[in-house]
Formats: sequence, structure tokens, C-alpha cells
Amino acid sequence: MTSDELTLRLREVLGDEMRVASSYEVVTVDVPRPGWVAAVTAVRDLLGLTLFDLLTAVDELDAGFDVVLRLWSPGGRFGLLLRTRCPRDDARVPSLAGVFGGAGWHERQVGEMFGIAFDGHPGMSPLLLPDGFEGHPLRKEFVLAARVAKPWPGAKEPGESDLDLAAAPPRRKNLPPGVPRPGTWP
Amino acid sequence: MTEVPDRSRGVIALHEDSCTSCMLCARECPDWCIYIDSHKETLPPLDPRGRPRVEAVLDRFAIDFSLCMYCGICIEVCPFDALFWSPEYVYDGPDPLSLLQERGELGTWMRSVPEAPPAS
Repeated sequence: MTSDELTLRLREVLGDEMRVASSYEVVTVDVPRPGWVAAVTAVRDLLGLTLFDLLTAVDELDAGFDVVLRLWSPGGRFGLLLRTRCPRDDARVPSLAGVFGGAGWHERQVGEMFGIAFDGHPGMSPLLLPDGFEGHPLRKEFVLAARVAKPWPGAKEPGESDLDLAAAPPRRKNLPPGVPRPGTWP
Repeated sequence: MTEVPDRSRGVIALHEDSCTSCMLCARECPDWCIYIDSHKETLPPLDPRGRPRVEAVLDRFAIDFSLCMYCGICIEVCPFDALFWSPEYVYDGPDPLSLLQERGELGTWMRSVPEAPPAS
């Protein structure tokens, strides 16, 4: 099924108010949070997307968290992304454990990594993190100890060594890409 | 060792003579696992009327394969073709510290780097 055909079918199944976008043949449906379970059930039953591939989340900072689900149709050999958003201060999404049994583990992982609650989940205990672990490692505000404790190996200029940096700190410091500036990370 | 295709991405090899200590690989590495130390040396001018040249000379080049995620970004960004994929995959030792490989060891993997394909 092409992405255009799939988009048409999705409109029939989910109604016109659902936002469907496709990019490079990957179709993504944005589902409002209250309709999450109904929409996933509908595409599973009516479009044959019976294979639960994965469920994860994305930290979109002030916009909240996106919970992303990928489903696949083994018969039709096409896939689909479904996405729902929850605000940061009310990070909860209805659980899909009743629709796909395997989603339970993924929701436990997203729960511990992003601090998102899944309403109706049969047993939301941490899956991978050790007992007593504090914080949610995949939230952007989570401080990565390795990026704070370790000096950046790229800070040196050509012709410099660690000893040079220790002897005379440079006036203009190179900063590592992708890491918040010193002092802005909690 | 099991046969693997020539262009398998096993370990990262260093062609030391091509490295100019420009630091680009160490800065791009998402895992912060490339360590480079170098010093500056003044060389006589190429042209008698020219000025002396200053060149960075490599003192240390190490990759910590216990941190490396084999993304290959260092190989992609190297402007001087000093880093290559080698298909070798048995490069560990009895001690986990042996995964921190210095330039001598990284140079030995050059032996299995395939020839560049002919320019089309």
C-alpha cells in the first residue's frame, strides 16, 4: 500500500479530524490523547496492523512528550506510526496493554525512562533501571554524569595536549556540541 | 577467524602519516572516545624567501573501543583520509583495558583495509 492509499484508508477508519502526515513514505498519525486506545484498536482491527513493533517516547521540551507507536501489517507489508502528545506537567497516557499485550513492557520502559504514567497498565514497575534509581534518564533535563565528570576530548586545538590546557586555560573555550552550556544544566 | 566481506565494519584503523591532528574526529565523536594530543613544531620554509612553517605533530591518538559505538562518523569527517574501517573483529585482549587502543595498535588494522575502489 502506498502512503497516499494508506492516508485515504486512515481517514475512512479514523475520521477526518485526525492529522495524518507522510514523509518519505512513512505515514504518521497524530492522535489526541483521549482517543489513543480507540484509534490504535481501530487500525489494528480494520487495517490489519496486527504486529506491535515498538512503543517509545520523545522529549519535546515545552511542548510535552510524544509517545510514538509503530505498527506493522504482516499481511499487507506496510507500517505506520501513531503518535500522541501529553503535557509535561500531566505526563500520562492511556495504556495500550489491553490492545497489544507486548506493549506492557515497552510502556514500563517508557515510564521509567521518561517519567510518563500509563493509565490502566496492569503493573507499572521499572523494567531496566536498578532499584532506587532517581530521575528519568531520557528526559532532556536529566544530567548525564559522564558528560559532566569527563572533560571533552575535543576541547584541544591542533598542537595542544592535556598538559597545555592544564598549564594555561585558553581564553575562548571550545564547547562540545549537543551538551548544554556549563551552568545551564541543572 | 570467520570470513567476512572486505568492507565489513569491524574496527577503526589509523593511517598515522595522513593525520594532521586537526581534532575534527575527536570533536565530532558522539561518544567522546577519541583522544588526541599533539604539539607544534616549527619547520624551515619551503621557499627560501618564505616564512617558517608551524605544524602540529601527533603525540597521542587513541580510540576507546569500550565506549565506541561504531557509528563511523570519525571516518566520515576526516578530511585527510587517516581513518578507515577494517573488517577485523578480533581486536580485544584478556583485559577490558585493552579496548583502549593507542596509535600503534590502531595502525596495525591498516593491514586489512581494502583498496579504495577505482574512481568512476
